Amino acid sequence: MARTVIIGAGQAGRRTAEALRDLDPEAEILLLGEEAHPPYDRPPLSKAVLLGKDPGNGLFVRAPDFYAGKRITLRTGTRVEALDLAAKQVVTAAGERIGYDSLVLATGARARPLPVPGADDPRVHTLRTLEDAQAIQAALLSKPRLAVIGGGLIGLEVASSARQLGCSVTVLEAADRLMARCVPPAISDMAAALHRGHGVALHLGRTVRRIEPRPDRLLLDAGDVQVEADLVVIGIGGIPNTALAEAAGLAVQDGILADACGRTSHPDVYAAGEVARFDHPFFGRQVRLEAWQVAQNQPAAVARAICGQAQPYDEIPWHWTDQFTWNLQVFGTPDPELELIRRPAGEDRLTAIAVDAGGRARGAVLINNGREATPVRRLIGAGKALDLAALRDPAVPLRQFL
Amino acid sequence: MAEWHRVAALSDLSLEAPLGVRIGDLQIAVVKLEDGVYAINDVCTHEYALLSEGFCEEGRIECPLHQACFDIRTGKALNEPAEVDVATYPVKVEDGAVFVQVP
Repeated sequence: MARTVIIGAGQAGRRTAEALRDLDPEAEILLLGEEAHPPYDRPPLSKAVLLGKDPGNGLFVRAPDFYAGKRITLRTGTRVEALDLAAKQVVTAAGERIGYDSLVLATGARARPLPVPGADDPRVHTLRTLEDAQAIQAALLSKPRLAVIGGGLIGLEVASSARQLGCSVTVLEAADRLMARCVPPAISDMAAALHRGHGVALHLGRTVRRIEPRPDRLLLDAGDVQVEADLVVIGIGGIPNTALAEAAGLAVQDGILADACGRTSHPDVYAAGEVARFDHPFFGRQVRLEAWQVAQNQPAAVARAICGQAQPYDEIPWHWTDQFTWNLQVFGTPDPELELIRRPAGEDRLTAIAVDAGGRARGAVLINNGREATPVRRLIGAGKALDLAALRDPAVPLRQFL
Repeated sequence: MAEWHRVAALSDLSLEAPLGVRIGDLQIAVVKLEDGVYAINDVCTHEYALLSEGFCEEGRIECPLHQACFDIRTGKALNEPAEVDVATYPVKVEDGAVFVQVP
């Protein structure tokens, strides 16, 4: 009976285990997690958990007895210290050696630290784990003045949650616009207006150089902007947890390098989820994506590869964020250099489609308009030249282009 | 005691164009499919969102927020992030009017 050991019991680890079980009723599956919890999805952390709302089954997706029922051996609180690829074993912090036939690295990412003086103050947080979210939530109860460093998805979701709890919130972003890595400038501008409209103080193009801890407050120095805060949350991206892979000699480059099926540079070893930098047919290059969609579905490709049924992971990229009154969804690659065709669909509702020089849809952004998720995904997937004059007319329904 | 409530005229419904209605505290999505009219609970079981705002095709409705899909005829959750089915309600059409029965 073939044994697969999965290191990392987050969403990608869970999904690898589940997909493997669906494909192979006989497989022996060991899911090793460093965190004390069974696998959980992280999207609720910056929203429901911070707001003190019950995240329902959006957090711990599976009931505690699920894993035993699927004959998935889940070992939480188990840190792996080293890989012995020659012996096909992993070595835990307790010194235990666990053998495998196939090894899946689903070690995820960690919050990128801000390398400035004062960032180690206990009032300065990052948000990655359930404990991180609970600590921030507890600190928000006293309605502190919150400074968020980083105007990306996490930072803006934290800002939105904290404003909804009545905190005064300042966001400092080093780039000259919000969410610069995932939406085009026109959408960044709308997001800035949304946040300012809800009372968030936004400082764009400002890099925090130091945090000066005082007993009663924190002083953030961003050159010409000085911000006083009681609590700081840093959201400036993630760093993939590649140390095990690197030490074992696997090919690593800001992520564990893998093919479109999750196979790494070693034949017995696979990479799943956001730690993987894998060939993605949609992009036509290797990408590392920190997104629920990838953690959810790329592991199925890994499981197929393990079972000798390799088939590339080639979904059209998708991610979402919920901020204030917005549900924002991004499909494909709405890169800044593409033409963005805006199709307003009522107040606070928009479909925007990014088309290339050949008139093909390459990406889309939906604001509160999820009913067009499937149509835009199909438009992007079809990759054919569109009648742009018609597309510019929001009265012409998208299904007409399908 | 379960009661029937008139929610729409049949002529108000187009094929696969969900209509969100409210009966008391219940929010219900009424959907006309090729083989009849169906009623399901309108609130996604994953996070609060109205399914009647979502895309509908081939007997499935997609949550507008996070793309969970449900079978309109059975209420069954078809993919994550939803894990829990939505409730279904009996529907009858009489004299061109659509009625939904709620508990």
